[in-house]
Amino acid sequence: MATEKIYDLWASRNPQWEKRYEDSIIKNFCDYGRGATSLREDRGKVFGGGYEIFIVAFFIGLYFNQKRVLIEDTQKRKTFGQPIQYWGNLDSVKGRKAYPKLREYIFTALVARTDIDFIALEKGEMTPRRAVDMLMQTMEEYANWGFHFMEDKLTDDPNCFYKETAFLEVFLNFDANTPNEEEEFPEEL
Amino acid sequence: MIIKEIKINNFRSYYGSNHLSLSKGLTLVIGDNGDGKTTLFEALEWLFDTTGENRKDSHISEKRKSEFEIGESDEVSVSITFEHDGEKEIEKSFTFERLSEDNVRTKDYKFVGYFIEGSERYSIAGDRLLNMCFEPVIRNYCMFKGEDKLNVFGKDDTALKVLVDTFSGIRDFDRLVELTSSFEQSSARAANRELQNDKKVSNQAKELNAQLNDVTNDIQSIKTELNQKKISINEFSSKLELLEKNQETSERYQAIKERIKGLKDKRAKLAAWSSCEYSTNLLDEYWILRSFPAIIKEFSAKVSALSKEKRRLDKQETERRAKEAGEREAISKIQKLANDAVPLPWNLPDEATMKEMIDDEICKVCGRPAPKGSEAHEFMCNKLNEYLSHIAAEANKNSSKEVDEKPLFPNSFIDELLSRQIKLSGDTEQEISSIATTISDRLEFITKRKAELAEVEKQLQELETEQNDLLMQSGLSAELLDKSISDLRGFFDAKSRAESRVSELETTLKFKESARAEIQEKLSQLEPTSSMTQVYQRVHTAFERITKSFSNAKEQNINNFLQMLETESNKYLQKLNKNDFYGIIRIRKTINNSARIELYSDNGTRIENPNGALKTTMYMSVLFAISQITTLKREQDYPLIFDAPTSSFGGFKEDTFYNVIDTIDKQCVIVTKDLLNIDKTTGQKALDFDTINKLSCSVYRIEKVEPFNDKDLSTIQTVVKPIR
Repeated sequence: MATEKIYDLWASRNPQWEKRYEDSIIKNFCDYGRGATSLREDRGKVFGGGYEIFIVAFFIGLYFNQKRVLIEDTQKRKTFGQPIQYWGNLDSVKGRKAYPKLREYIFTALVARTDIDFIALEKGEMTPRRAVDMLMQTMEEYANWGFHFMEDKLTDDPNCFYKETAFLEVFLNFDANTPNEEEEFPEEL
Repeated sequence: MIIKEIKINNFRSYYGSNHLSLSKGLTLVIGDNGDGKTTLFEALEWLFDTTGENRKDSHISEKRKSEFEIGESDEVSVSITFEHDGEKEIEKSFTFERLSEDNVRTKDYKFVGYFIEGSERYSIAGDRLLNMCFEPVIRNYCMFKGEDKLNVFGKDDTALKVLVDTFSGIRDFDRLVELTSSFEQSSARAANRELQNDKKVSNQAKELNAQLNDVTNDIQSIKTELNQKKISINEFSSKLELLEKNQETSERYQAIKERIKGLKDKRAKLAAWSSCEYSTNLLDEYWILRSFPAIIKEFSAKVSALSKEKRRLDKQETERRAKEAGEREAISKIQKLANDAVPLPWNLPDEATMKEMIDDEICKVCGRPAPKGSEAHEFMCNKLNEYLSHIAAEANKNSSKEVDEKPLFPNSFIDELLSRQIKLSGDTEQEISSIATTISDRLEFITKRKAELAEVEKQLQELETEQNDLLMQSGLSAELLDKSISDLRGFFDAKSRAESRVSELETTLKFKESARAEIQEKLSQLEPTSSMTQVYQRVHTAFERITKSFSNAKEQNINNFLQMLETESNKYLQKLNKNDFYGIIRIRKTINNSARIELYSDNGTRIENPNGALKTTMYMSVLFAISQITTLKREQDYPLIFDAPTSSFGGFKEDTFYNVIDTIDKQCVIVTKDLLNIDKTTGQKALDFDTINKLSCSVYRIEKVEPFNDKDLSTIQTVVKPIR
């Protein structure tokens, strides 16, 4: 029977995101699609690889507990070059630190927030692939909401994320102990 | 020359006709930047320029020009009416005419002077009249543009000579010195010639003359070297003097420099401490997990519930299986015999035998009949049933064996999650919970460092201002103040070397001069045979003495003039700095025959760098003194015209200055932006009537007519408003 771990199955996957955020957000804040990430500062980018802003978007969706279904047309979706298992392995990037454990926390959050019938999975009545599909969907929908949130902010003020503390401030607005499920996004600090 | 009226017509911003009546004392013309102050000054400079025909297109009022139709013409003119042995007028003008859209021609340049006698006017060439009444040399000491031009001796080295020549009557001495010196030389040559021709003393005379020649040449070269060394000593002295006098300044400068360096280091440290990669720290430092503890709780709860459920289901299954096994055991227990004897094995007799005996209603083992309904018949039926159920149970047992081999939960994903949960609890969970504190501590730290950084920046700025002020006040360069003690010693050594050489040279010079005097004495004591030669000798001696006298007199004359200038200057300095420190002006003759204006304290200490206002009043006092001497020598008064002379004055000094200058008995025109107050609500500048009302002088306000286009010169027009 299955000897693989569900975490490994999940980590070998590559989440999808809507192409429309490629220019407006991903390329704006990351070195996405430009090769070496060590030149980040020269280019004035906030993050390195494209998945970094995806992680940020995911956590925004997660803490707001807001999901947004991805556009149906798969032609209008895209994935990054690296599957999740490589995310955060930044050893070669100057001025940065690797954060491999973050993948595990993302997984943890997905398990907590995805309605999978683990008993059926355990009994073999559901395939692990189906379960991982469901985890990926949660991940993509949270991130999709996060991207939408950023886009919304950028429409109001195109420079809002260029303040050096802007991204951090988004996360400082969440309660450190309990998630703000229904709360509107509060004013900036 | 006392100017009574100035008229300006279409000269630059002075559109149309404008006029100012001047008082015999002070006239103030007040205007802000760009209001036409310098233009007024330059209009007069243009009028007083006698170097030739000078008409520039740029002198024409752009506003007037812009109104012109083709063929139209008008005039640019500047004129003054003045008193100088009667009333006179002088006017410079030219006509300008529009020939086409972009061509304006100038013509009919005129420079005319007039003698006015009653209603009659007699014309004369403008430059001639001007040179008669306001000589170029006097003009040089009458008009000053800006505060930094007030030092008359700073401009050029000939200024003293010009002044002395003009006002001390020394030029007559020059001619006499020149004349007597040429007489002396001729008579020397003649006397020598006669001596060398005299039979008796010829050889002696020749020898003495050769010696005299050598000594004279030696003296000349010693004097040249001596002069050079003296100039060097002078230079070294002033450098040393500067450094020594500024020792305190230098020490303060070094202290400030040290503090600036310290603060810069601190600033670099604080800047490093207060920088933070806020965004990437979300990932690299896991700051993004600040609100994650709640998610961990959700995960744990879910995994615990799943694990519990799995175990519950597992138990249930085990129980079910145990029950089934129990039931089978019970059935076998029911198969007991009445007398507790051990029954036959379940498979004896076999199914066919049993069925036959039941059908025949007889027990073929004991041979006794067993009719239906009898106990023996029922025993046989039960025995058959037991047989059948055993067979079925065996069959069942086989199939249930298969069920046992397939577990209820073939997968162990929940266990995977459970081990993940166990990994998360304890230290890891605590670590994540502390992220919020880590972030807030870090932010607080950065805020504090940033506040300190701002404070350091402020201190740095203040120190740098202090450093600049120090440089400005001392008038010394940062380079000079940076000079180390070794540099100072270098200057000192060089000066000492030059001084010892000077003393050597002076000794040699003395010796040579006495040698020359001896030779000359010997020459004069030669007793020629010819009486004519004796006459030549005496004539030469006489001329020699006369020449020496004139030379001394000339020197004395210059010293007297400087003395007079000094005395007069100090009188004005005292007046201009009423209720303030002012010191004593000394005018020193320099080695190259120019002069230097210096300020001394009463105790003889030189004030190296008087403040801006004191320096200005010092130079102005000298100017007033020169003007005063001019008046004495020429028996005429001359105006002093200043453009913005007081820019370094503060408000209080300004008030005192105008109060004093108001009472000086001298025609003085000051064009200035002083005495304008800014209205804080409108930003407009208005005259300071508090100060003006205390003055008795004439006051004019000049200002640009509003509205104007700040990019279009043709919209700029100056108007002259008499205030008093």
